[in-house]
Amino acid sequence: MSGDRIRGAVAGLAVGDAAGWPASRHRAALHAPWSRRLHRELDAFAEEHRVTTLPVPFALNQPTAPLAVGPSDDAEWLAWTLLTADRPRTAAFRELIGKDLRARVSVRTALDNLDRGVEPPASGHDNPHHFDDAAAVRAVAFGVLGRDPSDDAQVTNAGDGVLGARAMAAAVTTAVASGDVTRAVAAALDLLPEGTAIGHNARLALSAAERAGEAFAAVPALDAALLDHVYSYGVGAAQTVPAALALAAASGGDLTRAVPAAACLAALADSAPALTGALTGACGGFEAIPEGWTASARTLAGCCLPDLAGQDLMELTKGLV
Amino acid sequence: MTSYRERARGCLLGLAAGDALGAPAENLRPAEIRRRWGRLTEIEGGGTDDTEYAIFAASLLGRHGHGLTPELVARAYRDEIIPRVDGPMRGAGFSELGTVEALRRGLEPPLTGLVHSHGWSDGLAMRAAPYGIFCPGDPAEAARLVEQDGLVSGSGEGILGGRAVAGAVAAAMTGAGPEDVVDAALAVIPGDSWTARNVRRARAALDDAAPDEIEAALHEAVVVRHYPWTDLAPEAVALALAAFLAGDGEVEAAVTFGVSLGRDADTIGAIAGAVSGARQGESGVPARWAARIGPVTGKCLPVVAGRHVLDTADELAGLLTGEPAKGR
Repeated sequence: MSGDRIRGAVAGLAVGDAAGWPASRHRAALHAPWSRRLHRELDAFAEEHRVTTLPVPFALNQPTAPLAVGPSDDAEWLAWTLLTADRPRTAAFRELIGKDLRARVSVRTALDNLDRGVEPPASGHDNPHHFDDAAAVRAVAFGVLGRDPSDDAQVTNAGDGVLGARAMAAAVTTAVASGDVTRAVAAALDLLPEGTAIGHNARLALSAAERAGEAFAAVPALDAALLDHVYSYGVGAAQTVPAALALAAASGGDLTRAVPAAACLAALADSAPALTGALTGACGGFEAIPEGWTASARTLAGCCLPDLAGQDLMELTKGLV
Repeated sequence: MTSYRERARGCLLGLAAGDALGAPAENLRPAEIRRRWGRLTEIEGGGTDDTEYAIFAASLLGRHGHGLTPELVARAYRDEIIPRVDGPMRGAGFSELGTVEALRRGLEPPLTGLVHSHGWSDGLAMRAAPYGIFCPGDPAEAARLVEQDGLVSGSGEGILGGRAVAGAVAAAMTGAGPEDVVDAALAVIPGDSWTARNVRRARAALDDAAPDEIEAALHEAVVVRHYPWTDLAPEAVALALAAFLAGDGEVEAAVTFGVSLGRDADTIGAIAGAVSGARQGESGVPARWAARIGPVTGKCLPVVAGRHVLDTADELAGLLTGEPAKGR
């Protein structure tokens, strides 16, 4: 039974990753640069001509498959973490230096730091996005393995970024063991001190979602509680992890209700749906996820880590089940 | 013997001049700055948020002195900044506007500085000079006081950047040598911090690089390559203190070198100008620069519109000597 929930956590992350609108942007990275330049020019055209018809990623004279519904950055980084989980973390990251890859600001800066001799934890601390959720995404791997994600997290993150990783791993481990979303959320909350932004926001988000009653109803309240709409990146662990905890709780651990709600938080849609999918996938198990979604989300595109193109994510869970 | 008043005036004039000189070079690459100006030495327009926020910080010291607390700073934001945010408040950074949003939600410090993503902003470092002026020869107290301000709008390295600059100015207010001033900055922040690591790396780059490679070596030492915003305190403070050292603690040399580095050039210029201006006093600020510094317009902080940095400097000096501020 816990094997089904391990598979649920991994597949749930990929399904959530695929459900957010930024997935199509990430997957468009597989196309020629000129297609993205035209996209930017169409954006400028829309601005100049005051037309509201926004351009979408497209594939003129190129394969259209990358732009179908499918997983993107977060599923690939989870797969990379599962593949390298038994290696010392700094050594695993060091192998990425100089490779052709796409990654969050925290990860790119950490690779630069490692390259100039700045070792963990400074590599994750001396980092403008030390607070982002790159490590929280990877922590899903350590959660299903029942391991502490801290060594991995502090290569790329610090502060709320590391706390978010610990909370996600604890919640996934508890969900895999029990299937109980209340216990999973409590395990995460235990690791998030109230005096931190992520701890404050997690409690705020949980009470806002509880007042709203269910996941979709909670979307505007979570937007108001978590987002100041001042900063330009939506991958802060202090926002995305609380959103995931709150929507998992409000849905009773039901992925099919929690993930669509997370995808409605436009500013957080890059990773909050993925984290939400991992938590609720772990609670309900693989079999509870709609088959059409797991079928679409399990094959990696290689849009961030080109070596992983074509990799079946669920293959990586075989040794774990 | 240079008086506190002369040093206070030199500090804030240097800050305003560096801010104004660096403003057009912000976010430009050093090569582009060279292409446009050769060496950027003449002030073209007005200053920015650095000068206006420094005047605001000095007003907090005037009212509360050593009794300043984050609660008092938060009250000042609520009473004097927030009511006018919907008016002509332009040019404020992410950290200040994130703080405004946090205060509007009813949060109190230190959460107001923690819940936004720009805790490491150089928004505190850019306005830290008055705290150093207020504590001549006492970098630890200057650092403690600027942290009271910083706990409202920043966190972590942003607060450390403010502490380092306040500590440097406090040391410079006694006329200390350039290396001693930078040591004073390092003494008030943890050695195991991003800011301290950057200051040490920048210092080493100055020592090791050939003269025509210093700009590139400093960028290599401390600049974050894959991030679009440049207002990172660990970076701006390290570049500003490096400029102060490269200019041998003299205003014109330090500031013109600082703004040649690009990145957050106005803040780098402001910090380099404040520290070197405190060290040299008002006579160290080129007269042609001083002549370009008028009352601020309030374009970033309407509450300080019409204030002049020299009046602010005289008021701060008056707090130290017990004498009422004289006319400009």
